[in-house]
Amino acid sequence: MLLEVKNLDAGYGFLHILRNVSLSVEKGEYVCLVGPNGAGKSTTLKTIAGLISPIGGEVCFDGETISGLAGYKVARRGIAYISEEMNLFSNMTVHENLLMGAYTVRDKQLEKNRLAFVYALFPQLEGRKNQLAGTMSGGERKMLGIGRALMCNPKMLLVDEPSFGLAPLLTEDVFDSLDTLIKEGGTILVVEQNVTKTLDVTDRGYVLEHGRIELEGPSAELARDPHVRKAFLGV
Amino acid sequence: MITEYLKKLYETIRSVAGITVVLAIVVAILSSIFRGPYIIVNTVVTGGMLALMSIGLALVFGVMNVAQFAHGEYFMIGSLTAYYTFIPIERYLGANPNAALSFLAPLVSILAAFCMGALMGVLSEKLIFYNLRKRSRTNWVMNSFLLTVGISVLLVNGHQLIFGTELKGIVRYWTGRPFCIMDVFVSRDRCYAFILSVLVIGLFWLFMKATRTGRAIRAVSQDETGAQMVGIDLSGIQVLTMALSCGLAGIAGASLLFMFPSYPSVGLDPLYMSWFVIILAGMGNVLGAVVGAFMVALLKVLTMEYIGSGWDFVVPTALIMLILIFKPNGIFGSDVRGVLEQ
Amino acid sequence: MQTTKAKSELNLFDRVLDLLSLKPLGAIGLVILVILPLVPPFNQEYLIRWLCAAALIAAASVSFDFTAGFINIVNFGYYAIVGLGGYTSAILVDRFGISPWIGIFVGALSAGLLGFFLGIVTLRLRGIFAAVMAWFMGLALMGLATKAVWLTRGSLGLRVERLFDSPSNLPYYYVILAMMLVTYVITKGVTRSDMGLAFKAIGQNMDAARTSGINPVYYRIVNFTLSCTLAGLLGGFYAHYYGILTPEMMHTSKTVEVLAVAYIGGRGSLWGGAVVAFPFIYAMEMVRSSLSNLPGLNLILYGLLLILVMIYYSGGFAAFFQQHFSKPKNIILYYLVNGKKTA
Ligand SMILES: Nc1ncnc2c1ncn2[C@@H]1O[C@H](COP(=O)(O)OP(=O)(O)OP(=O)(O)O)[C@@H](O)[C@H]1O
Ligand SMILES: [Mg+2]
Repeated sequence: MLLEVKNLDAGYGFLHILRNVSLSVEKGEYVCLVGPNGAGKSTTLKTIAGLISPIGGEVCFDGETISGLAGYKVARRGIAYISEEMNLFSNMTVHENLLMGAYTVRDKQLEKNRLAFVYALFPQLEGRKNQLAGTMSGGERKMLGIGRALMCNPKMLLVDEPSFGLAPLLTEDVFDSLDTLIKEGGTILVVEQNVTKTLDVTDRGYVLEHGRIELEGPSAELARDPHVRKAFLGV
Repeated sequence: MITEYLKKLYETIRSVAGITVVLAIVVAILSSIFRGPYIIVNTVVTGGMLALMSIGLALVFGVMNVAQFAHGEYFMIGSLTAYYTFIPIERYLGANPNAALSFLAPLVSILAAFCMGALMGVLSEKLIFYNLRKRSRTNWVMNSFLLTVGISVLLVNGHQLIFGTELKGIVRYWTGRPFCIMDVFVSRDRCYAFILSVLVIGLFWLFMKATRTGRAIRAVSQDETGAQMVGIDLSGIQVLTMALSCGLAGIAGASLLFMFPSYPSVGLDPLYMSWFVIILAGMGNVLGAVVGAFMVALLKVLTMEYIGSGWDFVVPTALIMLILIFKPNGIFGSDVRGVLEQ
Repeated sequence: MQTTKAKSELNLFDRVLDLLSLKPLGAIGLVILVILPLVPPFNQEYLIRWLCAAALIAAASVSFDFTAGFINIVNFGYYAIVGLGGYTSAILVDRFGISPWIGIFVGALSAGLLGFFLGIVTLRLRGIFAAVMAWFMGLALMGLATKAVWLTRGSLGLRVERLFDSPSNLPYYYVILAMMLVTYVITKGVTRSDMGLAFKAIGQNMDAARTSGINPVYYRIVNFTLSCTLAGLLGGFYAHYYGILTPEMMHTSKTVEVLAVAYIGGRGSLWGGAVVAFPFIYAMEMVRSSLSNLPGLNLILYGLLLILVMIYYSGGFAAFFQQHFSKPKNIILYYLVNGKKTA
């Protein structure tokens, strides 16, 4: 198991959101976490990424416990988290943002390779190399966010709502790039609102409701599950 | 290609920032023509030191969202350290003269002041801001501001308690005839102080633009969460920022020791001035602070020239109030958003 | 324990207390303050002087907290406004020979006018910007007082006629005590009304308050005006008590003193600062006079205490009291602390 979350409890201050959440992701797997608004999906990712410290439970990555570590330490272990709002450095150029993504990479050659890789994945970014990140469109920002996360050659990606606020065509683009990453041996845990699309492309999924995991299984099976169909697919 | 650059330049000049800068330069030149070149010389020398103070203030505000009320106290610590470093060396030199050492002694004192300022900065961060941050981040800007008020009271009276209220000053750092620039005699100390400030600002700028750590500092000031996401150790950056900012204030205090002898509340005037600068430039805008420093210096010099000394305080204050009312983000704009809305 | 009654059912004593927004314990405290300067050892002149200083700081901290603790704007030029009230009154008395008793109120009015103005200019500003604005306004006022020598005699100091002819501090003490009570009763009365809720709402989140139909413009201006009027009143007392005014009295460090007392007392409580001021100023004066070979030590303690409170106990004394003493088991104690509640 690359990532293993065991009985995780987390929240904000006195607000207890996640209760007993357990999930795991195998190396090379493409896993999704779906659920209604406010279920705690983003909270789960933030807790794994170390931006919130858990109340209870454990997060293991690559065989080591990472729960309770500060966010930057988690990032240095090779978990790249892409938040809903991207958290780009808006007064830096696209290029500088990407270089910041490689902050933990000391090897100049590797940095160059990663840069080439990201520009190959998102050719649009290369054209806008010197534009300030703050002035980019929503779709470009998504790409830059993913690109920045890829700069440190992460072992795993946590992606929060890649399609949020994007036109359908752009959504396809972003999902395609995630597909490419999986084909090249990457590991992804993705949170999505667009349940149909997500269950279509991922291997396995978890359904989170009211801070608890209600269902889990291969995505194809989840897509057929009556509860999921009723709650998310509107059938 | 060149037309493109010209167009860009033209647009920059047409912006509010551009207009103000151009206006400031024109005013400086005109008044120098009418009253004498000493206006420009004074402006530039005062502005250099003011820039050192303001950069630190802007940096701490941008990176840590701390509105420093105690910034003048690090200036005071700098001047105090320089005094207690320089006096023994000077005494030693009195007994055994040594040309090289007498040139280096002031630099050593200023370096010591930098280190001491940085050390106090680190202590403030570790003992005070860190603890508040750990306990609560609600209403952070205001609460940390009040903490700095406490720090200021502590340091000012600490100075009084330990070193007393008398003036601890020197006549000059460097002996020798004053330099003559544009028919104006400028003492060696002022000259070297200016050169030093330009050097330090240049180094600082290089550090922020070209080094990995400098970029990390800028990243933290733009997005803390994003910085954590790419693996930047926030607390390390915060300590470093505090050290740099206070160290720079220390340098300013030390290199102006010949003008401002050290006493408990010597930092007050530099504090006010650097606050003028960062409000004029936009809170948290480090590069803007450098330009703003020279503009405030010009304003100060002009007020003294045309209205009379003593008013050099009232006029900038009134102007700053106008800026706060009509352009609260400053003329160069502020990078820092969100947190201020508290 | 059900102590909630309709207003009309209360006896006269409780009704008066309710009107004054005082708890029985507070009333007892006031009575003690009234008789304190009559009993030894407190009846010595220099101790009564300390009492006056403490009552002044107490009153100032109440009206300071009315802005800082409710609409969440730290009026960093507070003491400059106190100074404005003082100078206005002093100059009127000096130049036009009016009675200081009238001058004080004109001074308060002028300060209120400035508060109104300050409320308007800080309207668009939030948090730290508003604080900085008030700070610079204070600095500008101080600069003016220093430079307008023909009017204020600058740093030479302006001699001011005193309120009473007698050299004794006692009458002054009762005047400032009354002013403190008035300040408290007015501010507490306002914050107990719906207006208090509106203040808290715009203090916490201006946009949310605006969307829920609260007009921040109105409330901010009212708050500033009232707080500054009271500050001006205190300034008038300051002028006609100490008998001399210098621009130094408008200094930021004076504001810091009030701010420290208000925050150590507990922000948003109003009474916290007033309660803390007395033991606090006494202790400070004690440190200063007994350890006069260690100048500045008292202010170091000041700063230290402010820092500690800000970090570890941001509710200050009021929160501490609320947490540990507000629900005693004993019925009499309960009454003393909480009074009879009205429905
Ligand atoms: N910073 C915060 N402080 C307090 N509560 C928060 C915070 N962030 C989120 N919450 C609350 O936690 C709950 C879960 O939020 P979370 O963002 O994890 O939901 P989500 O499943 O990602 O929803 P969405 O699909 O809308 O993004 C919500 O009720 C939300 O109000
Ligand atoms: Mg979410």
